[in-house]
Amino acid sequence: MWLYAGRRIVLTIPILLGVTIICFALVQIAPGDPIQNLLSPTATAQDAARLRAAYGLDQPLMVQYFIWLGKVCVGNLGMSISDNVPVAGEVLHAFVNTIVIALISVVLAFVVSMIFGVIAAYRTGSLADRLITAVAVFGISVPPFWLGVILVIFFAVDLSWLPATGMGASGSETFSYFRWADFKFAIMPIIALALPPLGIMTRTTRSSIAEILNQDFIQTLRAKGLSEAQVIVHAVVNIMPQAVAMLGLQLGYLIGGSVLVETVFTWPGTGYLLNKAVLTRDIPLLQGTILVLATAFVLINLVVDLAQSLIDPRLKRS
Amino acid sequence: MTDAVADSSLRPPASRPASAVRVRSYWGSVWHRLRYDYVTLFCLVLIIAIVLTAVFAPLISPMDPYKSSMAHRLRPIGYHNYLLGTDEQGRDILSRMLYGGRVSLTMGILPVALATIIGGLFGVVAGYFGGKVNMLIMRTMDVFFAFPSVLLAVAISGSLGGGITNQLLTLTVVLIPPLCRVAETATSQVRTMDFVDAARSTGASTLSILFTHVLINVMSPVLVYASTLVSVSIILASGLSFLGLGVSPPTADWGLMLSTLRQSIYVQPIVSAIPGVAILITSIAFNLLSDGLRQAMDVRA
Amino acid sequence: MLSRGIRGAVKIAAIAVLAWGAIGGRASAESVLRVAMTAADIPDYTGAPDQGYEGYRFAGYTLYDALGLWDLSSSTKAADVVPGLATSWAIDPNNNKRWIYKLRQGVTYHDGCAWNADSAIWNFARVMDPKAPQFNARHVGQMGTYVVNIASVDKIDDYTIAINTKAPSSLFPYEMAMYYMISNCGVQKAGNDYNVYMKTPAGTGPYKFDKVVPHERLELVKNDKYWNPQRIPKHDRLVLLPMPEASTRAAALLSGQVDFVEAPSPDTIPRLKDAGMKIITVPYPHNWDYMLRMDVPPFNDIRVRQAANYAMNRQDMVDMLQGVAVAATQTLIDSQPWYGKPVSYDYNPDKAKALLKEAGCTPCVIKVGISTSGSGQMQPLPMNELVKEQLEAVGFNVQLAPMDWNALIGVFLTGAKKYDFNAINFSMAPIDPVQGILKKWMTAYAPPACCNWGFFADPKVDQLGNEALGEFDATKRNALLTKMNEQAVADAAELYIVHDLNPRALSPKLSGFVQAQSWFQDLTPIVVSP
Repeated sequence: MWLYAGRRIVLTIPILLGVTIICFALVQIAPGDPIQNLLSPTATAQDAARLRAAYGLDQPLMVQYFIWLGKVCVGNLGMSISDNVPVAGEVLHAFVNTIVIALISVVLAFVVSMIFGVIAAYRTGSLADRLITAVAVFGISVPPFWLGVILVIFFAVDLSWLPATGMGASGSETFSYFRWADFKFAIMPIIALALPPLGIMTRTTRSSIAEILNQDFIQTLRAKGLSEAQVIVHAVVNIMPQAVAMLGLQLGYLIGGSVLVETVFTWPGTGYLLNKAVLTRDIPLLQGTILVLATAFVLINLVVDLAQSLIDPRLKRS
Repeated sequence: MTDAVADSSLRPPASRPASAVRVRSYWGSVWHRLRYDYVTLFCLVLIIAIVLTAVFAPLISPMDPYKSSMAHRLRPIGYHNYLLGTDEQGRDILSRMLYGGRVSLTMGILPVALATIIGGLFGVVAGYFGGKVNMLIMRTMDVFFAFPSVLLAVAISGSLGGGITNQLLTLTVVLIPPLCRVAETATSQVRTMDFVDAARSTGASTLSILFTHVLINVMSPVLVYASTLVSVSIILASGLSFLGLGVSPPTADWGLMLSTLRQSIYVQPIVSAIPGVAILITSIAFNLLSDGLRQAMDVRA
Repeated sequence: MLSRGIRGAVKIAAIAVLAWGAIGGRASAESVLRVAMTAADIPDYTGAPDQGYEGYRFAGYTLYDALGLWDLSSSTKAADVVPGLATSWAIDPNNNKRWIYKLRQGVTYHDGCAWNADSAIWNFARVMDPKAPQFNARHVGQMGTYVVNIASVDKIDDYTIAINTKAPSSLFPYEMAMYYMISNCGVQKAGNDYNVYMKTPAGTGPYKFDKVVPHERLELVKNDKYWNPQRIPKHDRLVLLPMPEASTRAAALLSGQVDFVEAPSPDTIPRLKDAGMKIITVPYPHNWDYMLRMDVPPFNDIRVRQAANYAMNRQDMVDMLQGVAVAATQTLIDSQPWYGKPVSYDYNPDKAKALLKEAGCTPCVIKVGISTSGSGQMQPLPMNELVKEQLEAVGFNVQLAPMDWNALIGVFLTGAKKYDFNAINFSMAPIDPVQGILKKWMTAYAPPACCNWGFFADPKVDQLGNEALGEFDATKRNALLTKMNEQAVADAAELYIVHDLNPRALSPKLSGFVQAQSWFQDLTPIVVSP
């Protein structure tokens, strides 16, 4: 167990190094010039060169990479070009916004999917099963940003129940999930984010529970006189290790994949930051955001793997 | 969309190679099972119909998809000859949808096909040879796995810029690692099977073993998995178009149409929703089809 | 007023709007103006705005003043420069390279620091003197172009400075209307560290900085000690929100999240009107055009340029934009003093075809760089598709190359010769003759010096330009500039398409806004009723 954990952790290091190389390379091959954005519409080439030197963008690539990597290791992700503030602070601030909403979405999706999955598996072929399966297929098939736009039209514009965009009545810094006036800003993003994992987890839960309900020991339990409710609890407990692992993975994907939904709702998380960084060609910000997201994703996977091997040693992978 | 990759990629389907030793009867039984799966058959027919309308778009389109008319902008469904109304430039939505299907389906199918070939090849090589080769290939893939697919797609596409070629390239790169992993898992399982050892002991060459034994057994899990990725790829492509990283206008493409018609959603909400509905239906059809295939091919999810 | 937002949230939009002010936990009596900008992010607010001219509009002239200011109080005449932090200026009668500026007395920055000649000179060194402790490379990138003609600045007395230009520069006061003055005490107190300074930036403008939530909102409050009592804001607080998506801005206005929306998309306008919003449009110099590359074929041939202009059915474009644009047959608009009586290239496809044939360009293949969005670019995708269609109808073959707005700004700044584009769709605000005429058409301003992107060269235009720069009599100078503009139009130096009417949508509870004929706007007269 400890050996496995140790090896798994060591294996993470080259992956993280690879991540930094990809982050750096991607941004370098891009067309466009981050300096242009800072220049006034009538600035001259000399102005541009002066500014480029001030940001160290005139150095050779390898030098830029190692300088950057060295700083990254001490938590310095550089200065954002368009805002002239430390990237680390920017990304961390945004990351908190993303992870909280992703957590709420994924937990919501998890709870609902467990209920749906159990109902569907228990009554295979029933109307309820078909409805639930339909919802699940819709969840994984719908473009999430399109769903977001539809939600805005209904709930913000037509009904005026929920605000269309932003995070909180006076910005994210004073946002509280426990205040209705603020929380209502989070409702539509949560729904749009939760639907795809809901679809995936419902399908997985349904098939896992169905499989367990078909196994012999369930018949044995029934024969022993356990009530149907107790049998179901038994089945649910049985798939828990797997379900929890799934929860962790979905969380990782939501954190990394929320760029479209955050853009639709102008939710000030990492996805929204990423979109802005791409648009403004803010190299340090883009690198920092991708790096933090990929690192978080790797670490979540690591934790999931370790947790899984802890719960269920049979799942130990090579 | 990312999540759909996660759905299967990190839990590669384990093949049951043993059942496929007698090749003909395996595919025979697959067909037998499919014949009675009406949902899957319906989806298959639907997909074929969608593909055919896209292929024959120039023949069946009622109008020129690029001919605009300022006098007939944003007309409702059923207006005169415009069966599905018109867009913000007065172009016929139906014709644009038919032509747009060409791009969108290409973006769904072609990257998956390319990634299946490239990723599958790497996966088979890694799985069959094991050792250092496996290490090199799979650790490289692991690095790409460190990026959720949407993040990777936005990062690559954002770097390369928009355009149809870049989009194709991006989607292919994003889809290679999961397919590679599925192929690798399936291959390394097949490699240890008795019949491979038997073939090896009779002096068969590596290449012939790969082709006659390994590929056939690896194919079904890889194909089933690839079929789930088509809808992922279509949605991912439309997402890139949404962020302005897709094909360039005035090319008809569902994702781009969705994105531009969004500005008109207060004027013609139903017309503006058509491209989204098309993406949704196509995506559902592919998802259900791959479910059916998975069951019929007896590949465990 | 309402004490809690909950009641408003479940009722109609109007009530939700009212509730908003209360939700933030502020005193309910405070009147708040919330503006949705088209910018993708909050512009720099330390005195050197980025994000194009929208940054100047909302984070420049709100917080800061320049020596001269644009008079934005009228919507019937083109805005011109009036005294700002200087009360008057004049060229030295003995030296046509020396401008004397009389500074306004009794003005203080928001932090109490005094405005005087020392502060002005300190401000010029901020961008001009790399050895000065307050030197700011970022500010150079953004503001350097306005001081490019300055040789030195001398103090004459506490409230008089002399600015020496490198060459006679009769249009210099226009450049001084763009150069913001920031608090020297503030920067010194921050140890000349602009990252510290940006926590409490101070100018002399009608609004004071209050707080910022990065990427989300910039909040300014009224400066009730503003030196011009007529421009003390009629509301207490100004909240600026970046919303690059037109449909998001419309949704935010309809759901009561904002009160003032920049550039709603034309198609949403009927819906906004139905909801009781006021739509304001005013013609102002905002030229949505194609800049042409004129040193290589096909646009080096004047007949091809004229053909393109005759091919434009501008009314079609105006119709598509639901009337939020007007047809443009030259760079300027007719209320500007330099408009003149130029030729007008009205829609004439037969003439266009004939000209192309005469020029021997069939099919006339051109590649055009366009942006997918961007400040002042209107609705670039559908509009460019329409231009393409109209050009192709007369025998052009147009390839559109879309790119990010900043990438296109890069193409513009580096000049046509570095790329293979025959044209770029680059909108500009030719609000003054420096930007609208001189820097656009004189060979001296060809890249990298400035903005003659397509290397337009006409000796007649150059000569008129040099005469105008040396002419300090306004009437005579305007006559020269008018001739210069007429000549550029006769040369078909651009593909003229439309002028943006720059629509804005205002919530019915706002009153008092006057849309000036300028890129810049004065928000101070707006009254927000509860």
